Amino acid sequence: MNAMSQTQGLQLLNGNHAVALGVMLARPDVVPLYPITPQTPIFEKLIDLSEKGQLVTELLTPESEHSAMASAIAASATGVRVFTATSSQGLLLMHELLHYAAGARTPIVLFNVNRTPAAPWGFWPDQIDSLSQRDTGWIQLYSETPQESLDSVIQAFRIAEQVKLPVMINHDAFYVSHAMEPVAVPTQDQVDSFLPPYRPEMYLSPETGCSISAPLDQKSWNLSRRQMAQAMAGVGDLVGSVGQDWGRLTGRGYGPIEQYRTEGAELVFVTMGSMCGTVREAVDALRGDGIRAGLLKIRLFRPLPEAALRAALAHVPCAIVLDRNYSPGMGGVLHQELKSALFGMSGPPRLHGLLAGVGGVSVSCATLRKLAAEYLLAAPSPDPVWVE
Amino acid sequence: MLEIVILGRGGQGAQTAGNQLAQAYFAEGRFVQTFATYGGARRGTPVTSSIRVDETSIRLRCNIDNATALLCFDESLLDRDFLRLANSKTLIVVNSAKEKEAFAGVGAYRIFPVDGRAIARRNDMGKVVNSALLGAFAAALEHPGINTICDVIERSAPARKQQNIAACREAYQLFQTADQGV
Repeated sequence: MNAMSQTQGLQLLNGNHAVALGVMLARPDVVPLYPITPQTPIFEKLIDLSEKGQLVTELLTPESEHSAMASAIAASATGVRVFTATSSQGLLLMHELLHYAAGARTPIVLFNVNRTPAAPWGFWPDQIDSLSQRDTGWIQLYSETPQESLDSVIQAFRIAEQVKLPVMINHDAFYVSHAMEPVAVPTQDQVDSFLPPYRPEMYLSPETGCSISAPLDQKSWNLSRRQMAQAMAGVGDLVGSVGQDWGRLTGRGYGPIEQYRTEGAELVFVTMGSMCGTVREAVDALRGDGIRAGLLKIRLFRPLPEAALRAALAHVPCAIVLDRNYSPGMGGVLHQELKSALFGMSGPPRLHGLLAGVGGVSVSCATLRKLAAEYLLAAPSPDPVWVE
Repeated sequence: MLEIVILGRGGQGAQTAGNQLAQAYFAEGRFVQTFATYGGARRGTPVTSSIRVDETSIRLRCNIDNATALLCFDESLLDRDFLRLANSKTLIVVNSAKEKEAFAGVGAYRIFPVDGRAIARRNDMGKVVNSALLGAFAAALEHPGINTICDVIERSAPARKQQNIAACREAYQLFQTADQGV
């Protein structure tokens, strides 16, 4: 098949515009938004689609991200579908309300463009902005490509609305947000058949006069967290079944994790987001060199699919975690999570935590091949290593 | 895989040129990936646009370290940092009124100057050089087709469509007839 026949029917879109089209197709009722680099193209595209009448929604542009999230929670509590988007400082300004949204069980879908938080000031791809929100009760997905971002934003509404938990989808600044490439855009009929209208059984309304998230005693507050834990426990399977449904509809299936060429692997790279693409190239090159390498891509980070990760790494002698983030005083967040997920496992892989790409530093295929050769037989270490 | 980096200063149109070049390759049935990075996010600071072109879907998500071709919007940016992306085979087109020989001292590179400013001025484009440079670059690369590029400009130029197209075609023809020994 030549390239021409493969690219036919695809649209050239950057990651942010792909997200905006996915949002339009999901028919949200309320979209509160505040612009921030490098998320702004999502904001601009949604406004453009709204002005052209292609996106029929109540678009709100409040004075800050904090107010955008407050509006999102209030709107969602009235039983309507809500979307918002942000990045870095904006997400951090929302922090207090991220806890609130999850605790109030409002199934908001938020798209975050991963960017370095200040200081120092920067615009670079780094996942610490969203990883530092891991305890807020939001489901977190990480996307590798503009296509996956579009597909995931539609799936996220079904996941969120089914378990009544908010979903945050993340893609890396520039390498995905501003990367323009061929994307398949589903039809409205396809999306309508996949994503039914949101009809919650409980919602705020002047007619019913109930309240949500009013003060509770200790025991009831405790119960609210047990109920969240119960909801979280079903998310891994749900992400899998929703991803399979999407695959049947579009030919592009997804799960909580993806294993690329891990069969018989002596070395597996574990990572999230845009880095996965470069790792695929490195894996192919290493296999060509006679090193049996593979990729374990983590798409669902919260809740962490621990059982799936343990199964995927069950017979792997060496695993290299690539963290595009840094938790000062600890190391890479994914490395930390992997150590915890593999705790008590019999015959675990020799685990290496590499801080690769922190602050948006480019990690090339050549660098990954070098790392594979260096760590393939090295003894495991609990400490992270900075990659030059 | 073809790997191209365009370097300019914020406001010069390097990012627009990168998007237009990618659209032209895509229109000819190629898989493309283009992304821009900008440091200061303000006018005058260096902006790069990276473009990958291939016959299959592109998976790499990192910077281009070893470019097939470079397009430089401003000869003051043609420094050691930028040339680190080049090797002796890399095709380098630079916006400059100087002769080719003036770049001999830069090193063992294939550098081809194009007077984008003069072409832009002749075509009523003032200081806006992106369409002229795109035309010269396509002539040097021998792809994508000039008509494909002009179609993209027609669709995407925000203003002065005909002047942009005329500048692009003039630069393309000038580069071809100059027989620069590409």
